[in-house]
Amino acid sequence: MRVLMFGWEFPPFQAGGLATATLGLVKGLLGRGIEVTLVVPFAAAAADVPNLRLVSAAEPRPGLRSIRVDSPLAPYAGAEEYLVLSEARASGPHGGSLYGANLFDEVERYAAVAGLIAAEEPHDLIDTHDWITFEAGRRARAVSGKPLVAHIHATEYDRCGGPGNPEIHRRERLGLLEADRIISNSAILKRQVVEQYAIPAELIDVVHFGIDAPAGQDDLDDLPVAAGRPTVLFLGRVTRQKGPEYFVEVARRVADHVPEAQFVMAGTGDLLPRVIERAVELDLADRVHFAGPAKGPEVDRLYRAADVCVMPSVSEPLGLVALESLRNGTPCVIPRTAGVAEVLRHALRVDFWDVEEMANKVVGLLHHAPLWQELSEAGLREVRSPRLGLDEAARKTEEAYRKTLTGVALSEAKGA
Amino acid sequence: MPDICLYFQVHQPYRLRRYRVFDIGSGAGYFDEAANRTILRRVADKCYLPANRVLREAVERSGGPFRFALSLSGVLLDQLESDAPDVLESFQGLVGTGGVELLGETFHHSLASLHDPAEFRAQVGLHRQAVERHFGRRPEVFRNTELLYDDAIAPQVARMGFRGMLLEGTDRLLGWRSPNYVYVAASAPELRLLSRNYRLSDDVGFRFSNRSWDAWPLTADRWAEWISRSAESSVHIFLDYETFGEHHWTDTGIFDFLRYLPDALARRNVACVHPSELAARAPLGTLSAPVTSSWADAERDTSAWLGNRLQRAAHERHARLGSRVKEIADPVRLETWRRLGTSDHLYYMSTKRFSDGEVHQYFSPCDSPYDAFIAYMNALTDLERQCAADTVRGRWAAEGEMAVAI
Repeated sequence: MRVLMFGWEFPPFQAGGLATATLGLVKGLLGRGIEVTLVVPFAAAAADVPNLRLVSAAEPRPGLRSIRVDSPLAPYAGAEEYLVLSEARASGPHGGSLYGANLFDEVERYAAVAGLIAAEEPHDLIDTHDWITFEAGRRARAVSGKPLVAHIHATEYDRCGGPGNPEIHRRERLGLLEADRIISNSAILKRQVVEQYAIPAELIDVVHFGIDAPAGQDDLDDLPVAAGRPTVLFLGRVTRQKGPEYFVEVARRVADHVPEAQFVMAGTGDLLPRVIERAVELDLADRVHFAGPAKGPEVDRLYRAADVCVMPSVSEPLGLVALESLRNGTPCVIPRTAGVAEVLRHALRVDFWDVEEMANKVVGLLHHAPLWQELSEAGLREVRSPRLGLDEAARKTEEAYRKTLTGVALSEAKGA
Repeated sequence: MPDICLYFQVHQPYRLRRYRVFDIGSGAGYFDEAANRTILRRVADKCYLPANRVLREAVERSGGPFRFALSLSGVLLDQLESDAPDVLESFQGLVGTGGVELLGETFHHSLASLHDPAEFRAQVGLHRQAVERHFGRRPEVFRNTELLYDDAIAPQVARMGFRGMLLEGTDRLLGWRSPNYVYVAASAPELRLLSRNYRLSDDVGFRFSNRSWDAWPLTADRWAEWISRSAESSVHIFLDYETFGEHHWTDTGIFDFLRYLPDALARRNVACVHPSELAARAPLGTLSAPVTSSWADAERDTSAWLGNRLQRAAHERHARLGSRVKEIADPVRLETWRRLGTSDHLYYMSTKRFSDGEVHQYFSPCDSPYDAFIAYMNALTDLERQCAADTVRGRWAAEGEMAVAI
């Protein structure tokens, strides 16, 4: 089987769960003998960013052909962020022609290239990831006639807590309705898609993302945080979806019971200034460290330096942070509605808004060594089990692909 | 034709509420009174009352031959008395028929027998008093919490005046021997041992409503037939009373099974006997148990309560607190400490079933074993602080008295 996949940047550097999850998916598929051609919009300027650790694309990878499309498209970029990026790019070393005046032009360009690629690259099936690549997938299908799978990782509704950008919403909807089959990374996301877009549930497969073993055992010096103090970590974008404001409230309550505790917020985003202000208001200025976005092996080091990882996410269709945390032996507190809560047993569950309970659990972990040890060991074991491995996710994805190939043209059945 | 000795265990703990770190020092109670009342009422309606009715009719109908044993934990008796007196009356009526023998146990359904002989003795004494008060009876046969048994426990039970004791007939303990005889404890020759036939007991207790079991549906007739086929002395069937209506709901036919059972046994000349009757018989041999056994989980040892580090940490901390609580000599604190010693609290912290991917047990009030642990440890912290405060207050009071004296 050969899959033509349209995705994010490859390899992932900074963009968080989605890119890492896609990397894991690709590895898993290759491991099962499926050939993958991965098309990525890759901001060439990103290569100039210091401290960036890239897995070399030149690294020989049997079966994987990676084609870079030069464009400033980056995942999660809202329309405003995109404009800023484009301007930066225009004045950078590769400056010169700007590709498109706005994000949607970029998507169109990407889609146009997709059509060309589809004509050249042999494939049996097309796979796309989230709204930004859906158009590309449709264009590819129009050229090659092969079945189209839409992977959905998060909806615009999720990201914005409401309808959000109408154009993104429109494209997302169109992409999902037009796909021959949909793969969702959690049951809760599947339910949302069924409810929001009236897509029959039998057209959606749920494949939870897997995770592989950590790259290596780094030692813990030159950490951004003081070793020896109980450390509570928040890792992710500092944006509404991830609940960073709840983290600060939790920190205040935890600090009341564990005065020596320190809190690390590793990430950046639109809510960062507000969060910093609130931390100061709550008299936590000397206890909360804003470490900025973590990249590459820094991520694993941060998890290991921490005693607890907290995810107060308002919406967490994925939740790869939980798996990464457990992979490093660090117990985590996850929201009940996280996609990952559907598969993880050995993590503490909480409602994202229940700051008191979150603090209660964090204090419990910090105060009681047996609890920490038990969750650390059991969590590590669980994350290493085949059930949560890359092969299992790839196996289920392959199953979904096969269903797509053998299925009837579902677009017609849906009467689009 | 063997005899059959039926025994049912009745117990409800005082469950903890979600006791948070913020609750420490706030004066809030540890136990979830509303939930406990609700659960008690539910279990009473689904199990205790209907089962009591069926059994009472059976005893009265038989005019004597049909008999069995019951044991009600002290914490259950207390809850019945305060929250479901009608149910207590129902039990009293059942026992009043004369067909029911009551057994002794620890009042608080605790693990005291494992490490604290004085506390063990005290709790057994309390239970005796309660049985005397509610039923006017004095137990002669003992059943330890979850049938915990080993060579160290046997002499203590014998010294407390019991003639017989129930235990789990594990393969480990019995070896080549059959459970269907009366034995004697190696470490206490005056104590008769009745070992549970777990296969036949679990047929009803576990497998009854399992449709993929090849013997489903199990009728009273068929099961009585299996009992009667034993060429041995006495078959000891020990069950959790909640088998009838809670573990197996009415629609499984469990009450019909119970209703037809006395007849089915009688028709096959299988006589029902009380544990104390068996304890009067000559034993076949001696049983020695260096390792503690129980009727809990597949392992039938202490791992259900002490199998992981959470449980051991919680248990040890509770035990250590015991001596401080007793120094203060405050009955309320002592009763609270004892209620925290009920084995169920540790059971909720078990990670065995949790790892196997099963949904949390129907009866656990906690989201997860970890939540159970956190709530429990927070409660212990609060109790520790209260004891510390009491000790300080006590010293001040003593100093005050001394000052006056001077």
